[in-house]
Amino acid sequence: MSTKPLTARLNQRRERPVATVPRTVLVMLAAALVAQIALKILQPAPSARAEALSRPPTADTLRALSFGEPIALGALLTLQLQAYDNQPGISIPFAQLDYGRVIAWLESILGLDPLSQYPLFMAAQLYGQVPDPAKQREMCSFVHREFERDPNRRWRWLAHCAIMAKHRLHDMPLALAYADAIARRATQAPNWARQMRIFVLEDMGEIEAAKVLLGGLLASGEITDPREVQFLMERLKGLQGAENSSSPSRK
Amino acid sequence: MARYTLLEALRTRFPIMVLVAVALLLLISFFVEALAVTESARFQASVYAAGMRLAGVFIAALYVLVSIARELNDKGFDIVLALDLPRAHYVLGKLLGFLALAAVVAVVAGLPLLFLAPWEAVLQWVASLTLELAIVVALALFCMLTFSQLVPAASFVAAFYLLARSITSIRLMGAYPLAGAESLSHQVMSTLVEALALVTPAFDQWTETAWLVNQPAAWPALLAIGWQSVIYVLLLAAAAMFDLYRKNF
Repeated sequence: MSTKPLTARLNQRRERPVATVPRTVLVMLAAALVAQIALKILQPAPSARAEALSRPPTADTLRALSFGEPIALGALLTLQLQAYDNQPGISIPFAQLDYGRVIAWLESILGLDPLSQYPLFMAAQLYGQVPDPAKQREMCSFVHREFERDPNRRWRWLAHCAIMAKHRLHDMPLALAYADAIARRATQAPNWARQMRIFVLEDMGEIEAAKVLLGGLLASGEITDPREVQFLMERLKGLQGAENSSSPSRK
Repeated sequence: MARYTLLEALRTRFPIMVLVAVALLLLISFFVEALAVTESARFQASVYAAGMRLAGVFIAALYVLVSIARELNDKGFDIVLALDLPRAHYVLGKLLGFLALAAVVAVVAGLPLLFLAPWEAVLQWVASLTLELAIVVALALFCMLTFSQLVPAASFVAAFYLLARSITSIRLMGAYPLAGAESLSHQVMSTLVEALALVTPAFDQWTETAWLVNQPAAWPALLAIGWQSVIYVLLLAAAAMFDLYRKNF
């Protein structure tokens, strides 16, 4: 009986040394691997085009196509939609996208997963940031519509739109309407959000208002996703930086 | 070896399987055409082409896996080893037979399309499907020789195919995240995805239905696919030979 350990004997049985492989095969393997990698490196990186965004199927159709996994399909579609504008080099501005189609996609995704906040986050924080008042209004209108369907879960996106309406669109009645809607319909929203209409009526700078909103959101502890917290923290820091650089020195 | 591989396929139920798949998908496409109010030919061609592409991949991959598994289990492979035949010749012979089979499947799959789309587009589609199936059969051969068992080999082929069809989307989604781009986890994942893309053919750019229903592909693009296929089949063949030479039976 052999005195070698069992594993050593098994290894000896299963695999022969590399030296048994003919040199031609080794050269062919190495050459093909190098050629494959070189070919891939020489190819340009993939890029998506804004016009490639097509109209989505309805939520019912997507639900049927999800094979009983609407949340997973919703998540995949969200990331797919995100990839259309979030390009390498950020070369495609959000403004170039067809907002009617973007909203249709966001609606379909919300139809698949109504509890997801991601589509509203994209609408308020990303697509709503373009320097185009018509498109900003379009996104805010979408957020408002969706807010009415589930106010207690979606109030914070409408709060963002209220600030946007006041300071970007300079549309005080619209901002007040959104703030009022939060105060009336979002009964479970924290006090600072429900009292926002007071802020809207005050004459504050945009940075100050955004700081209140973001700071309040972060302090409330409602946001638990660390990536979202990080994103908002970065925005808050950016706003503080902008405020410091624009304010005169007090020395 | 190549001839016997081809003969084996023709004498089993493989041709019937292919013909049944073609007939079934044609029936489905006629049903879709009857339902469509407008662009009925476009609907029919796209449903048939997309379905036949998947069916071709499924049938070809499964056939290769089962064929090699049978040889390993029935000790037919042991007889081959006892002959004065280098292991490389066995792999190359089998591969050539399977490649011929892939071409036959692609041509049979493409024939009905001649009635639904321009001949140039059909030619491109068939050529691209042949190349795609060539990679799939080479991969199936490599997996079966490496894993020696059907379930892990079939799982690997399926996972690889899904990855190859979605690698471009994965790269796009992972390239520039909205937040956390600087985090270590994202950097690691991003590097991993890019490394994976280097050794994975991007099947989403192959055998496109759009060539049939919109406009034919540019020939240089097809040439690039051809080069990619040749290199990848050679790579898989070399990997299969490497593993087979190291195996003890």
